[in-house]
Amino acid sequence: MLEVREVTKRFGGFLALNRVSLRVEKGSFHALVGPNGAGKTTLFNVIVGRYRPDGGEVRLKGERIHHLPTPRIVRLGVGVSFQRAQAFLSMTARENLMLALLGLKGGVHMARPLAAFEAEAARAEELLGWVGLEGVADRPAGELPLGDLKRLDIAMSLAGEPELLLLDEPLAGLSRAERRQMVAFIEGLLRRLGLTLLFTEHDTDAVLRLADRITVLHQGEVLAEGEPEEIKRDPRVIEAFLGGGHAQG
Amino acid sequence: MRVWLPALLVLLLLPLFLPRYPVEVLTQGFILALFASAFNLVFFQLGLLSFGHAAFFGVGAYTAALLVTKAGWPYLLTLPAAIVIAALFALGIGFFSVRTSRIYFTMLTLAFAQLLWAIVHKWYAFTGGDNGIPGIPVGGFAASATGLYYLALFLLGTGLYFLYRLDRSPFGYALRAVRDNEARAEAIGLSPFGLRLSGFVISGALAGAAGFLQVAWQRSAFPDFLYWTKSAEAIIAAILGGSAHLLGPTIGALAFVELGAFVQARTEYWPLVLGLVLLFLVLFFPRGLAGLSGRRDARG
Repeated sequence: MLEVREVTKRFGGFLALNRVSLRVEKGSFHALVGPNGAGKTTLFNVIVGRYRPDGGEVRLKGERIHHLPTPRIVRLGVGVSFQRAQAFLSMTARENLMLALLGLKGGVHMARPLAAFEAEAARAEELLGWVGLEGVADRPAGELPLGDLKRLDIAMSLAGEPELLLLDEPLAGLSRAERRQMVAFIEGLLRRLGLTLLFTEHDTDAVLRLADRITVLHQGEVLAEGEPEEIKRDPRVIEAFLGGGHAQG
Repeated sequence: MRVWLPALLVLLLLPLFLPRYPVEVLTQGFILALFASAFNLVFFQLGLLSFGHAAFFGVGAYTAALLVTKAGWPYLLTLPAAIVIAALFALGIGFFSVRTSRIYFTMLTLAFAQLLWAIVHKWYAFTGGDNGIPGIPVGGFAASATGLYYLALFLLGTGLYFLYRLDRSPFGYALRAVRDNEARAEAIGLSPFGLRLSGFVISGALAGAAGFLQVAWQRSAFPDFLYWTKSAEAIIAAILGGSAHLLGPTIGALAFVELGAFVQARTEYWPLVLGLVLLFLVLFFPRGLAGLSGRRDARG
């Protein structure tokens, strides 16, 4: 589904990513972990087209995408959710989703009011139902609590019916109880939709529960890659930043 | 709608009962209202402060003035040309400016506008230099004060209706999406550069229509139409009226022009009075005159 080959990214003299490679297989839930500064978000931003790599390439279903801007990449079937829950705070939850639906199919024009797009309104209702936000459809996104905002963010990233979903720290900022709910929600929804997932996360328990495969980044390089049980036992990972036999992200 | 329909009716009937001078003052208010509403498209919807909108106002005015005086076009027929040429200038200036943000955008638009002002100010052979283009013959019904009043009201009404449609369309939502969160906008397939440039060009075109009207109002075109103080008038009108409301810049422009005419007839300290009014509004009513109704605008 997604292949990152030998990607290098520098910021001035700082080498953020050094020949990083990984493969995300179709239908898998692939976690990208590492301590702060390991390069997770940089790699995430390279994959979604926000940063141009200085070397290497990114392929989606065999097609090179690392030279494309973000709007083109998301239209190729990639849903993106950023580290901090992001939505358009001046708009209602429904308007956010309707705009996402229209934006992803290039239907942003002036011919009709947004409210007159009935098919998109119905689809927005459906998406809100998927993420359990039916009751807040007409509330401005700026008034939603963080947990709901994250669900809205994920619903927006699903608007284009992507095959691959990229989530950057979907649990950041949530309480312990909210995290448990969010993990169950992501797992249930995405497995039901049959999506491929690449996500970054610091929460070890969540990573071990969700991921089929884990890539560990450390100081901009791939330290280890494998199934969760392998990673938990990998001496390099334990040596580098794990304690007590459990990954800490 | 219940408030604005009677208001429109009053505006339509006013010239029948008012002497010439107040009709002219109101016409000037409509012209500034159109200019300020155009500016506000970039200011509010895109969240960018343009300090160079006078360029498009001036280009619209000089396009009309030059076509009438040098090519012999009837004044009214120069309107499409004024709009198109102003839009083309907005396209050129916007192409470089909308890539930048915040203070850089403001300074770049100011620099482009001042550059155009300097050219118009010095190019005696073509623009008349600092003498401007005086004595422009304005034919048709725009020749009378009442006719020009209705023309300005019509163009303002058309402009506001266009902006109302834009505001509620997916395009308007997309502009605000780019303003609210550029990264999120890109992640739903929107192109921030294309949207900003489109909004900037539409805004420039509307400002050009306002410049076209100014030529008939003054029967002249002057380099000051492109000077930064003209841009400041649009900014003041939008802030005075409330930029978050579609009608805010119109209310602000009418208040600015009417208050200005009233105060200037009594004292030379108009800038002082204006400063005090602005201070009072910004400190105590940051949502402007339109915000006094207590209603929040759904546009956020």
